Amino acid sequence: MLSPLEKIDKAIRATDLDALACRHSANQANYITPQDPFIEPLILSYKSNLQYCSGYTNLSAGRTLRSVFGERKLPLINRGTYLRTKLIDQVTEEFIKQFDVCQILSLGGGSDTRGFRFLEKFERVIYHEIDFPESTKIKKVAILRNEKLKSIVESQGESVDITSKEQFQQLSPNLHTKRYHLQSYDLRKLSSGLTSEDVIPLLKHFDSSLPTLVLSECVLCYASPSENEEIIKFWKHQCRGLVSFLIYEPMSLNDSFGATMTKNLLQRGINLQTFNELPDLNSRLVFLSDICGLSHIKLTNMSDVGGYVIYSSSKKPWIEVSDMKRINKLEFIDEVEEIKLLFEHYCLCYAESSPGDITFEGVNEVRWESDDWS
Amino acid sequence: MDLDTDVPMEDVEEHQLRQSGQPAGADASAASRPFSGKKQDLSLTSVNQLDQWIDKLSKCEPLSEADVKRLCDMAIDVLQFEENVQPVQVPVTICGDVHGQFHDLIELFKIGGPCPDTNYLFMGDYVDRGYYSVETVSYLVCMKVRYPNRITILRGNHESRQITQVYGFYDECLRKYGSATVWKLFTDLFDYFPITALVDNKVFCLHGGLSPMIETIDQVRELNRIQEVPHEGPMCDLLWSDPDDRGGWGISPRGAGFTFGQDISEQFNHTNDLSLIARAHQLVMEGFSWSHQESVVTIFSAPNYCYRCGNQAAIMEVDEQHNRQFLQYDPSVRPGEPTVTRKTPDYFL
Repeated sequence: MLSPLEKIDKAIRATDLDALACRHSANQANYITPQDPFIEPLILSYKSNLQYCSGYTNLSAGRTLRSVFGERKLPLINRGTYLRTKLIDQVTEEFIKQFDVCQILSLGGGSDTRGFRFLEKFERVIYHEIDFPESTKIKKVAILRNEKLKSIVESQGESVDITSKEQFQQLSPNLHTKRYHLQSYDLRKLSSGLTSEDVIPLLKHFDSSLPTLVLSECVLCYASPSENEEIIKFWKHQCRGLVSFLIYEPMSLNDSFGATMTKNLLQRGINLQTFNELPDLNSRLVFLSDICGLSHIKLTNMSDVGGYVIYSSSKKPWIEVSDMKRINKLEFIDEVEEIKLLFEHYCLCYAESSPGDITFEGVNEVRWESDDWS
Repeated sequence: MDLDTDVPMEDVEEHQLRQSGQPAGADASAASRPFSGKKQDLSLTSVNQLDQWIDKLSKCEPLSEADVKRLCDMAIDVLQFEENVQPVQVPVTICGDVHGQFHDLIELFKIGGPCPDTNYLFMGDYVDRGYYSVETVSYLVCMKVRYPNRITILRGNHESRQITQVYGFYDECLRKYGSATVWKLFTDLFDYFPITALVDNKVFCLHGGLSPMIETIDQVRELNRIQEVPHEGPMCDLLWSDPDDRGGWGISPRGAGFTFGQDISEQFNHTNDLSLIARAHQLVMEGFSWSHQESVVTIFSAPNYCYRCGNQAAIMEVDEQHNRQFLQYDPSVRPGEPTVTRKTPDYFL
């Protein structure tokens, strides 16, 4: 039996299956171009290994996977999945283009494939991923069993074939190569007064002199605002140069949609801690600037990115008009109000800290809702 | 005077007594509406059969495939004789999208009063999105066949073969019946649904909105509606268009139909001597929403749409004097549906 805390963690880890199923669906429906070839190996790894994760049996893993991957995703979910992927990709790519030798630190990325895509495309970037051990193991097995992924991360590791819970438990959750670092860690621990020894695994492969972009795609929302603060401050203090944060997550807007979302997710055992405590863009701005001490803050909600908003500003839109036309044609959209409603409850926030004059210029290239806060 | 077969004899008498003070003709309204002579009255066997089905469906239990076949055949017999602009008398309660939220439909009948005591006009979108499209559409079609003069069911843009394959009804039929037969029966039936209604010659009711190709209600009467909802043209627009703050005609972000401004609505109402256009089709958080200085009203009757949106629902009562009253309601608790097994709607997580 799982303890109440273990149950919460299981529910949080299970959100990675949602994200993977959504990416898979958007990929199948041709939103993502060119198609993402790395989603499939991750699904395969889940199919063979979810049964060995804590709280699952062979039967319940099969049931979970069928329910997650068996149902058609609605067009608005495909659209939103595409937009979040595309936006974070865009900012990441601008970052790498500006700094060339730099590192991306993806927090709780689970089965996200962004690392593979960027390691393949940019030869000098270093990619770190930190997640719960079970999530990193799923990813590690996916990499080691796929020649293409192995060559992208430049791993010489042997393919592994897990056949029991014990074997899965004993598998080392980490994978370190020259440019790729998959590290297991529970980031929430950072708020509990750790000794320098406790954080060694996090910092052993981390180059504090490199410009760093920290990504949180629906991850920090599962931690409390004070844990958020500690996590952000921890990385801020580790970096001697520029450190940028890009955060994508839901916010309640204190309305009835938000109240319904809170209720629905609680039913799944998921408590979105920042959702109600940082309910809108303004509270997030205050949190990032006053509490976390970051600057150059830029924020937008996803409805402004791709929720059928008519642009009045002369600034470049997030999504090229031609690409917008392309995705509008992929599936019959029966309704736009629901898209707007769902998307305006998701934000993308950028903030940075730099001891010197170096700043991430590329982030100005796109249209933010509030970007006069420097 | 013709008797209204929709209500038991004693009800008719009581109705006549109650209404004896009304101007002549008011109480005979439902019975004396223009009606094609070809339509057969229901046999007692059919009435009993329908009452059984309604009983079963009230418990949210789907009909057997064979019964759906029988029901759809009976419904075609009724619906094929209805007009493109189906005349409806006051008083009537006008309802918007339901979208397979069966328990909320039952709640609607509680709020608005049971049918046939209350006359109902539904403006389409019975299927897709919610988990009980099969039960919802079966129930409404049963009611329609049982009480043809008491309930009017228009076609929405979701009552179509193409849309139901994307938004859930097709998958639900496969899941509940193991084949697409029931989906085929219903989508074939949808072709017969009337596309608009005219309440006492004053309130024009339809699912979506106006069309640049339609200036008069007579032009709607001339359309051949017995077909799949086309991708463009007047019939498509009536089921897909939306009112907009911008004047004139605009391109719809939905990819079908148009947006139309206040100038268009006012002109249409003036030309056709209407007091109001009532339509559904758009999620509105309060359940109803006025536009174009009260020349258009949107009514949406699926509370907490998709179990995710947190909106209220509403229906609009129009009485004999054409007074309008909105009744708003929240989602019903779903008895008999264990909340733990219900799948949480999708979010980006």
